Amino acid sequence: MEQIHYERLQETLYHEVLDNGLKVYVLPKPGFTKTYATFATKYGSVDNHFRVAGGEETTVPDGIAHFLEHKMFEEPEGDIFATFASNGASANAFTSFEQTVYLFSATEKIETNIETLIDFVQRPYFTDQNVEKEKGIIGQEINMYADNPDWRVYFGLIAAMYQKNPVRIDIAGTVESISPITKETLYTCYNAFYHPSNMLLFIVGGVDPEAVFELVRNNQGRKAYEPQGEIERIFEREPEEVGVKRLENKLAVSMPKCLFGFKEKEAGLSGKAAVRRDLTTKLMLDLLLGSSTALYQKLYDEELISDSFGHEYNSSPQYAFSAIGGDTKDPDLLLKRIREEIDAILQTGFEERDFIRARNKKIGGHLRMLNSPESIAHEFTRYQFRGGDFFGVLPEYESITLDEVNERLREHIDWDQLAVSVVVNP
Amino acid sequence: MTNHVFQHGNVGGIRIHVLPTKTFKTYAISLYAGVPLAEETVTPTALIPFVLRRGTASYPETTQFRERLEELYGAGFGFDVYKRGDYQIIQFRMDTINDSFVQSKESLLSQSFAFLGEVITQPVLEGDSFRASYVGTERETVRKKLEAIVNDKIRYAAERCIEEMCREEPYRLHPLGQRADLDAITPESLHRSYRSWLEGAILDLYVVGDTTPEEVEKLVERHFGLGSRAVSVPYQSRFSPRTVTDVRTVEERMDVGQGKLNMGLRTSITYKDDAYAHALMYNGILGGYPHSKLFVNVREKESLAYYASSRYDGHKGIATIQSGIEIQNYGKAVDIIRKQLDEMKKGNISDLELNQTKAMIRNLLSEIQDSAFEMIAFDFNRQLSGKDRTAEELLSQVEASGAEEVKRAAATVQLDTIYFLTGQKEE
Repeated sequence: MEQIHYERLQETLYHEVLDNGLKVYVLPKPGFTKTYATFATKYGSVDNHFRVAGGEETTVPDGIAHFLEHKMFEEPEGDIFATFASNGASANAFTSFEQTVYLFSATEKIETNIETLIDFVQRPYFTDQNVEKEKGIIGQEINMYADNPDWRVYFGLIAAMYQKNPVRIDIAGTVESISPITKETLYTCYNAFYHPSNMLLFIVGGVDPEAVFELVRNNQGRKAYEPQGEIERIFEREPEEVGVKRLENKLAVSMPKCLFGFKEKEAGLSGKAAVRRDLTTKLMLDLLLGSSTALYQKLYDEELISDSFGHEYNSSPQYAFSAIGGDTKDPDLLLKRIREEIDAILQTGFEERDFIRARNKKIGGHLRMLNSPESIAHEFTRYQFRGGDFFGVLPEYESITLDEVNERLREHIDWDQLAVSVVVNP
Repeated sequence: MTNHVFQHGNVGGIRIHVLPTKTFKTYAISLYAGVPLAEETVTPTALIPFVLRRGTASYPETTQFRERLEELYGAGFGFDVYKRGDYQIIQFRMDTINDSFVQSKESLLSQSFAFLGEVITQPVLEGDSFRASYVGTERETVRKKLEAIVNDKIRYAAERCIEEMCREEPYRLHPLGQRADLDAITPESLHRSYRSWLEGAILDLYVVGDTTPEEVEKLVERHFGLGSRAVSVPYQSRFSPRTVTDVRTVEERMDVGQGKLNMGLRTSITYKDDAYAHALMYNGILGGYPHSKLFVNVREKESLAYYASSRYDGHKGIATIQSGIEIQNYGKAVDIIRKQLDEMKKGNISDLELNQTKAMIRNLLSEIQDSAFEMIAFDFNRQLSGKDRTAEELLSQVEASGAEEVKRAAATVQLDTIYFLTGQKEE
C-alpha cells in the first residue's frame, strides 16, 4: 500500500495494484459518515469492436455495454438491490462512452457492502430468459430518452460531427440494435472487459485504508483469475471533417433547442497532454461564453439565449469536441450573432484581468467539487482511465497561461469544424 | 448519529442558524424567504429573485455582478423557488471556499455576506422602481421557464397530476407563478411587491462552516441592515385533510412515444405528526427504492417500465407515483399499481421489506451530515413544520415501526387522481 499526500488539498490517497491487476484507491475523509465506492471497468458504449490478445476480432451489437450493466444486477438468488438494501446501501450504476461504473453509498456495514459490490460485478449470471426480459425494460429506457429533447439535441450533435467513431451511437443503442443480444454475446463482452486488470476500485469516506486493502486483497485472493493480455480496441479511422453541418430533429418543445460545437481535428491525446488540453479548453470556453462575459450578456439581453445556455468539452483518445448552446427562439440568428461576436474576440484574444478571474473561478469550482465524495470518485476514475491524475488538476490550472488560452482559442474555433444540432417542433 | 447541532439566534428580524464545523472546504450559506402561496402574489414573488440576480447598488451591471462572484474564487451563487406545503419559498444559496485553501486578503465569508446582503436589500434601482430593462428581460425568462416545463415529459406529467389533483387549493399553483399574470407586472409594481415581500417574508439564514454564531450575527447586522424589521413569525401549518370521494382520471394527448402514468394520493399524515415515520416507511415499501413493491412488480416482474416509483411530500400530505410505459400497457400498469396499493392497505408487508426499508431510511438520514446543504434542508424542515424532532428521534421512530404501523399509515392513504400523458392517436 502506497500513500500520496496532497498538502494543498489536505487529502491523503492510498493505493495499490493487486496481483491480479486490479487497481485499488482509498481516500479517507475524516469526519464523514458516509462511504462511497465505485467499481469501474474501462469499457463503455464505444468499445464495440475489439480483440483480446490471443483471441479473435469481435464486433458486438450497439448498446451492449449498457445492457450488460443492467444484467449484472441479477444474481441466481434474485436482484442484488435487495442485498444492498438489507445492508442499508443505496446502489446504482451507469454506462458512459468509455466506462461502466457500479457504485454504492452507505453509512453502515461498509465492509459487507464493499464485498457485495465486488462480488456481484465479478459474478455474471445471464440466462436466455432474464436477457429477454431485460429487453422490455431497456426498450422503455430508450423510449424515455427518445422523448427527451436535451438528450436528442446532444446526440444529434455528436452524430452530425462523427462519421465513423462509435461515440455517435446512443449509449443504450436502439430497440433494434439490442434485439439480437443473447447471453452468449454478453459473456463475450464480460470476459473481455471485466478482468480485474481492466478495472478500478475507488473508495472514499470515513474508512480505515489498511482494513479496506486487507479486505479487498483477501476477496481477490479467493478468486482465480488467469492473467489477461492487452485488449485491442479497434476503431475505424475518423475523417477530420464533420459528417453533416446541420442536423435537425423534431419533438414537442416550447422553443427550439440548439447545440453546436467544434470537432477537434486532432484527437488522440492521452495522459498529461490530454488533461492539459482539456483544462485549457474548458477555461477558454468559459472566458469566451461564460455567464459573466460580455458576449453572454449581449445575447441574453437580445433574448437569444436563456439560463439554459452552457458549454462543455468532451474528449478521449478517439474524439474531442465542444458542445455549446441551449434553448433559443431563433437558432440561425443565434449562430450568426455568436459568429460575429467570436470573430471579434479572435482578433484581440482575451485580456489578462479576465483570464485571472476566470482561472480563479475554475480553481474555486474544483475545490468545491472536493466536498463531494461522488464527484471525487467519478472524476478520479475518469482521469485514471485516460492516464491522468485528478489530484494534479489544481496545480495544472494554476500553471495555465494567458498565451496558452489564446492559442487554444485560435486553434479550437475553426468554423470549418463546426456542426449544429437543433430540435424543433414538428 | 448527529454530532452537529445548529445554534439558533435572531438578528434584525432574521432567524439565524449556525453550524460551526471544519469538515468542509467551503462555507455554505442559505437564506430562506417564505410567504403564503397565493394566486395574487405567486407570480411577482417568483420574479423577484430573477431581478435581484441582475444587479445591486455596487454592481449595477450583470457582468459586474457575476465578475464579483468570480473574484470570490468562483463562489457558488444561486436561488430556487419552490413550494412547501402552502408556502412559496425562495432559497438563496452561496457556497464559498474556506480561506485556508486560497490566498485571499479579506475573509471570503465576510465578502460573501456583503455580497448576499446587498443582493437582498440593495438592488439596483431607477428612482423608486426596479431597472426597467431587467424586469422586462427577466419576465421573459420566467415565461420561457414556465413554457419549457413541457419539454421534460416526466416533470410535466408530475406537475400536471398535482395541478389536476389540487385544482381547488393554492397548491395547484406553480412556484414560478402563472404566465397570464406576467404581462401586468411593471418595474414599479414589482418594486412594491419586493418591498412588502422583504418586510413580510419569514426569513431563515443558515451558515455551515468554519465560523461562530457571534461572527455570523455581526455579519448579518452589518450587511443586511434590516434592524427595524419585525421578528420572523413561525411558519403556520394550514393543512386540513381532504376526503376523496371518487378517483378522478385525467388523460392528456401530446406528441410522445412513451406514455407517462402518474398517480396522486392523499394522506392525513404530515411532517409534524408522530406517524410521519410510518408514512415514510409506507412510501419506502411502496415505491421509494429499487427493492420496493413498485420497482419489483412493475419493472422487474412485468418489464413494463424502466422507472416506477413513489414519493411522499410530508409538508403537503401527498404521495405521488410515477412511471413511463408503453401506451397500450396503460390498463395493465394501472391494475398492477393499484394491486400494490391494496397490498399495502391489507398490510401484506414482509419482515424483509420492513428491514430493507428501515436500513435505507437509516442510510438516508445518516448521510445528511456529510453535506452542508442537506443539513440545512433538514433543519429548515423543522422550522417549516414547527416540529422539533432530530434526525435521531425520527430514526428511532422509523426503527420502532412494524407492519401494523405501516398498515395504519396505509389506511390514511387515498388514491385521488390518475393522470396519463398519452400519444396523439388511438393505439
